[in-house]
Amino acid sequence: MLPSQGRFSSSAARAWLTGVGRVARCALLAAVAAMLAAPAAQAVPLFARQTGQNCVSCHAGGQFPELTQYGRLFKLTAYTMGDRVNVPLSAMGVLSVSRVRDTSKSDAPADDFQKNGAPLLAMGSVFTGGKITDNVGAFVQVTYDNYAGRSTTSDGNNGKFLGHTGADNMDFRYADRFIGPTHDVIFGVSLNNGPSVTDPWNSAAAWMQYVPVPTPTSSQFVDGRAPYPAYPASRISGLNTYVYWNQMVYAEVGAYGTANKGLSFMSTGTRDSATSRLAGFNNPYWRVALTRQWGAHNFMVGTSGMVTHLYDNGSDISDPNNLSRIRNTGVDAQYQYILDPHTVTAQIAYMRQQQTYSVNQIANAAPVYFQADGVTPVDPVNPSDTTKTLRAKLSYVYQAKYGASLAYFDRSGRPNTLNQTAGYDSTGLITSNDPNGTNITSTRVTGNLTGNPSTRGFTYEAFWLPVQYVRVGVQYTAYNKFNGASDNYDGFGRNARDNNTLFLYVWGAY
Amino acid sequence: MKTSLLLLAAAIAALGFGCTNLERSRSFANQNVRPAVTAVQVCSNCHAVDGNAESPNFPRLAGQQPAYLVAQLTNFRSHQRSDPEGFFYMYGISQKLSDEQIKGLAEYFSQQVAKPVRGKVDALKMAEGKVIYEQGIPTKEVAPCLACHGPKGEGMATFPRLAYQHQSYLISQLDVFQDNKGRPNTPMTQVAHLLSPREMQAVAAYLQAFPPGP
Repeated sequence: MLPSQGRFSSSAARAWLTGVGRVARCALLAAVAAMLAAPAAQAVPLFARQTGQNCVSCHAGGQFPELTQYGRLFKLTAYTMGDRVNVPLSAMGVLSVSRVRDTSKSDAPADDFQKNGAPLLAMGSVFTGGKITDNVGAFVQVTYDNYAGRSTTSDGNNGKFLGHTGADNMDFRYADRFIGPTHDVIFGVSLNNGPSVTDPWNSAAAWMQYVPVPTPTSSQFVDGRAPYPAYPASRISGLNTYVYWNQMVYAEVGAYGTANKGLSFMSTGTRDSATSRLAGFNNPYWRVALTRQWGAHNFMVGTSGMVTHLYDNGSDISDPNNLSRIRNTGVDAQYQYILDPHTVTAQIAYMRQQQTYSVNQIANAAPVYFQADGVTPVDPVNPSDTTKTLRAKLSYVYQAKYGASLAYFDRSGRPNTLNQTAGYDSTGLITSNDPNGTNITSTRVTGNLTGNPSTRGFTYEAFWLPVQYVRVGVQYTAYNKFNGASDNYDGFGRNARDNNTLFLYVWGAY
Repeated sequence: MKTSLLLLAAAIAALGFGCTNLERSRSFANQNVRPAVTAVQVCSNCHAVDGNAESPNFPRLAGQQPAYLVAQLTNFRSHQRSDPEGFFYMYGISQKLSDEQIKGLAEYFSQQVAKPVRGKVDALKMAEGKVIYEQGIPTKEVAPCLACHGPKGEGMATFPRLAYQHQSYLISQLDVFQDNKGRPNTPMTQVAHLLSPREMQAVAAYLQAFPPGP
C-alpha cells in the first residue's frame, strides 16, 4: 500500500519516474562497478577474514548487520572466535540517491532538499578490532561523513559541503565461556560508547536501523531518519556486564557517563555543542532477554531500559538546572527462520520515553505562537512528556541474494507546545519570513504546527546481494502522518505524504 | 569513577594480553588447544555440545563415524568438498586445523550419543523411505542404502551414520550429490542420479525419524 499512489498529477508522475529512472541507472552502474572492482577472493571484512567464514554465517541471509545465532555467540564471546589477522582493518562505503516526493512546498528547496535526486558517495567507515587475545576483542567503527557540514557564505565557499570524521559504534569486550554437557555460561564485560551497542539482537535500538543515511536534507525523510526506538544519548561511555545462560536467558546491566578525558576517543569528532554530556555515571542501562532455538526457528523476547541524566546540548554543566531526566523502557522481540535457501526474520520493538525537561529549558521555552485568531496564546509548555515509538519489520531473503522487507513505524505522544516550531503570529498569519515584524516565524518542511510528535508510516524495501559484501537496495518510505498531522503539518500546506522518499543505495564492505 | 573505568579497561587488557586461555580458547589454529575444547567452544555453536544440532541447517554429528568426519574435515580444508554449506561455514573453520586436531574433533563427536530429532515426519513418506532404505529400488537398480549405511543407519568407516540426521540436510546433500559438483568422487553421485525428489524426501524422512524396528 503506497498512500501516495493515485494522487500524482501526470506531470508530477512523469518527473518522478524520470528521477527514478536516473536513480536506478546510477545504482545499477555503481553495483556493476563495485562487482568489477572487488577481487574475487578474500574480499570480506575483518571478522570474516578472522574466521574464514562467509558473511551468512553471522548475518541472517547475508543482510548485515542482523545477526544469526552464530553471529550473536561470536559477538557475546568478544569477537574471539578464530585467529588474529595481520591487518585488522576493514572498510565500508555507501553510495546513494534520495528523492523526496514533493519539493515544491518550500521557500528554499535547495536547502530543504539538498542534493535531491543526486548520486552521493555519502559516507565511509573504517573498522578495526576483532580478536585481540583468547578473551578480549573489539568492534571499533570510525565513520567519515562526506556531507557533515557546510561552509558559510562568508568564507567564500558558498555553502560547499565539508567532510568530517567521527567515532561510530565502539565495543571493547572481555568474555569467557564455561560450556560443557550440562551447562553453557557466557560471561562478559564491555566498554562501549552507547546504550544497546552491546546488544546482539537486531531489535535493539542501536542496530534496528541498518542502512546508513546520508546527511544532506534530501535524506531527512529516509527510513533511517523516521522514528526508531532510541536512547537519548549516544557517543557516551559505558561499562556493561552481561551473562548468557544456556542460550536461554540473557541479562546485562551497565552504567554510562560522558565520553571525556581518557575515554574521549569514544566521542571523537563530535562537535562540542552536540556532545552528549551526562551527570556522573548514575545513568543505568539494563537488558533482559529470553531466547530459544527450535529447529530452524529462533525466538527472542526481551526488555530493556535506561535512565539518563542529560545536560542540554552546549549548556553549562555546573548548573543542575540544565539537567533533563529521561527514562526509557522498551520491549522487543525477534523471530528468525533460517533454513537454506530461505531466511525469514521479524522484529518488533516498542519504546516508551518519559522526559522531564531541564528547569532552564522550560524557563526559556515560553511559547511564542498564538492560536488561529492571532490573539489567544497557545498553551504553556509541559515540563515533561512521554513519547511511544513502535517499529516492526518483516523481511525475507532468498539464497542470501534477493530480499525484501516491510517495516511499520509509529511514534505517538501528547502535544507539547515546547515542540512546536510553526504557528500563528499575532496577526493571525503563519509565515517563515515575518513581513509584519512580529518576530514570530515558522519553520517550513520540518516545522511542527501542533506540537505533537506523532509520525507514522511504512517502508518498503527490495535488495540484492550480487556478492556477499555488496548490497544494492531500494527503499520507499511512505508517511501517513508527520509531526502530528497527515495534512498541513507545518502550517504551510505541506502534507505527510509529500515527504515520501525513494532511497537507492549501494552498500559495500571490504 | 572515570579513573576506575580506565583502570578496569587497563586491567581487562592486561588480563588478556600475553596469556592464552587454553581450556576455553576459540582459536582454530592453536595446536595447544585440545580438540574437545574447540568442539565445545566453537563447533557447538552450530552442531551443539552433544553433536545433536537443533537447527536443521547444520548436520548432526553425534555418533558419526570418525573416519567419515576426518574425511569431511579434510575435504573442507582442501576445498575438495564445495557444497554451499561447507563453503560458507566450514572452509574457514577447517583451514588451519592440523591432522591431529581433525582426528581429535572426529573422536569427540563420534563419542556423543545420537538422539532422536524432535518433531514428526510424514508417516506415508516414512513408510516409503523405509522400503527404499532396506530394499533399494530394484526397478532402477538402486541398491539398498543399508548395504553401506548399516541396518541401524549407523554407518561404517567413511560411510556416514544417517539415523537421526535432519531430513532437510539429507535432502540438500542428495541434491549436491546429484549435481555432481559439490561432493565429487563418491558412490552417492550415481545413487542420487537414480532418485526422484519424492524418493529423496521419503528416505530422508525415514532416516530422520528412524523408528526402532518391529
